[in-house]
Amino acid sequence: MGWKAVLRSVIGTSHEQRHIVCQDYGNYEIFDDVLIAAIADGAGSAKYADIGAQLAVNTAITHLKKLYLRWFKLIEDKFPAVLHQTAVDPKDANLPAMIDAKIRKVFQKTLHKAIASLQKNAAENGYAFHDLACTLLLFIATDRWIAAMQIGDGFIVINSPESDYRLLFQPDKGEFINETTFVTSANALSQMQFCLYPIKQKFICASTDGLERVAIVTRANSTPFVPFFQPLEKYIQETSNPEQEDEYILRFLNSERLNARTDDDKTLFLCFFAQQGHVEPKQPRWLDCFNLGENKSE
Amino acid sequence: MPVGQPEFPEFADNPEPRCPVVLLLDTSGSMSGEPIEELNQGITSFWQSVNQDSLAKLRVELAVVTFGPVRLAQNFSTIIQSKPPKLTADSDTPMGAAIEYALNLLEDRKATYKASSIQYYRPWVFLVTDGAPTDDWQNAAKVVRQGETDRKHLFFAVGVQGADMNTLNQIAPSQRPPLMLKGLDFRAMFEWLSASMKRVSASRVGTEEQISLPPVGWGEVQV
Repeated sequence: MGWKAVLRSVIGTSHEQRHIVCQDYGNYEIFDDVLIAAIADGAGSAKYADIGAQLAVNTAITHLKKLYLRWFKLIEDKFPAVLHQTAVDPKDANLPAMIDAKIRKVFQKTLHKAIASLQKNAAENGYAFHDLACTLLLFIATDRWIAAMQIGDGFIVINSPESDYRLLFQPDKGEFINETTFVTSANALSQMQFCLYPIKQKFICASTDGLERVAIVTRANSTPFVPFFQPLEKYIQETSNPEQEDEYILRFLNSERLNARTDDDKTLFLCFFAQQGHVEPKQPRWLDCFNLGENKSE
Repeated sequence: MPVGQPEFPEFADNPEPRCPVVLLLDTSGSMSGEPIEELNQGITSFWQSVNQDSLAKLRVELAVVTFGPVRLAQNFSTIIQSKPPKLTADSDTPMGAAIEYALNLLEDRKATYKASSIQYYRPWVFLVTDGAPTDDWQNAAKVVRQGETDRKHLFFAVGVQGADMNTLNQIAPSQRPPLMLKGLDFRAMFEWLSASMKRVSASRVGTEEQISLPPVGWGEVQV
């Protein structure tokens, strides 16, 4: 039991027509009951965005794994109440702020590494830094909590036994829909969104902005479009080895129906935590009082 | 997969994001004859070109404001919902009033988008004139430049032969000086505009960079 996952990136029709490579990239790692995943969408306007996306993803995963062993373990060991949803000692009133600061630091350091790796690559190959522009979505999850960060657009949606489908971050669009933040942007660190949810994980779906308009209802407060996610969750739940049995997900990503709605590269990452034995009964909703590093628009 | 494939995901029905453009066109008396005919033909070719692009025809929303007098020849609508207007040359050149009218129209449109949760691109205002303002244009220039700094819009100014390029220079944002149209080649100008709109309506950029636009073959910067 534990995590199972599948990740696929498919080139967009407009990129195919213009003979541009797929600029989306994703990767993940599962160890023990921990899952770390990252996806990136190379900026269409950047020359070597595909290289940037790959480098940002792999650097971020490697570094977050190292930090997990120090920071998250520390939080798990020292403050089990926070992550395991048991009662918090009222004396620990400043605990959320403390953990918030720690999580921020973890992701800032990770992002910093990713930025540095792009800068180094650009210098070594004589590229301009912005030639490697890409978004970055990164998260780490156990079955008890998820911590995530996002630079630029794309989405992470979770489903938990305790709450409905939930969009972790509001889409990072400015006033204008075609403007977003990239890892190479000067304000990347300040624009980084991050969160920690002490919430039981069942299903996580992450994607680049190629699927945003069909998966997310974009209103003043964007929400997941549930009929988009339900079949995907069912597929990964019922598939014992999703990386091998990928026909369904590839058929979907290559479908004409989808290509009629988006001509961009598409990346879909799905994972599911299969619990052993019985599922515990619903517990009081914790996250309402513990929205650490929550996106301000929520 | 176990028994039976799951259904494929259903899609959220989000409204298309809109790409608002205001054409701010000088229809003063001096435009009569060949210039207005060429302008009309250019507009028609713009319509046809945008209509051929599956994304742009749903996303580009065009309003046409003419002067003078200041008149809304066409309110914001997508290309497939509308027909190119037929313009006629008329009286004087109240450029200042026309600019302020157009920028207000734009802000109203943005408010409508916001109220209906429609996402939108940064609006373009495209001013074409062959003369000199016959009204007070200083305030309009201020609003144009402030709006450009505040990233409210992108303002393009084009002079046709006879235009007061000196005044246009003071109206247009300093980072995007006015262009002088080569002859009456409105068709080439509108081809460029439609190519640019196609690019914009399918684009994604960082907040610090600009969309790379096609090269301008139809005009030149006059120093």
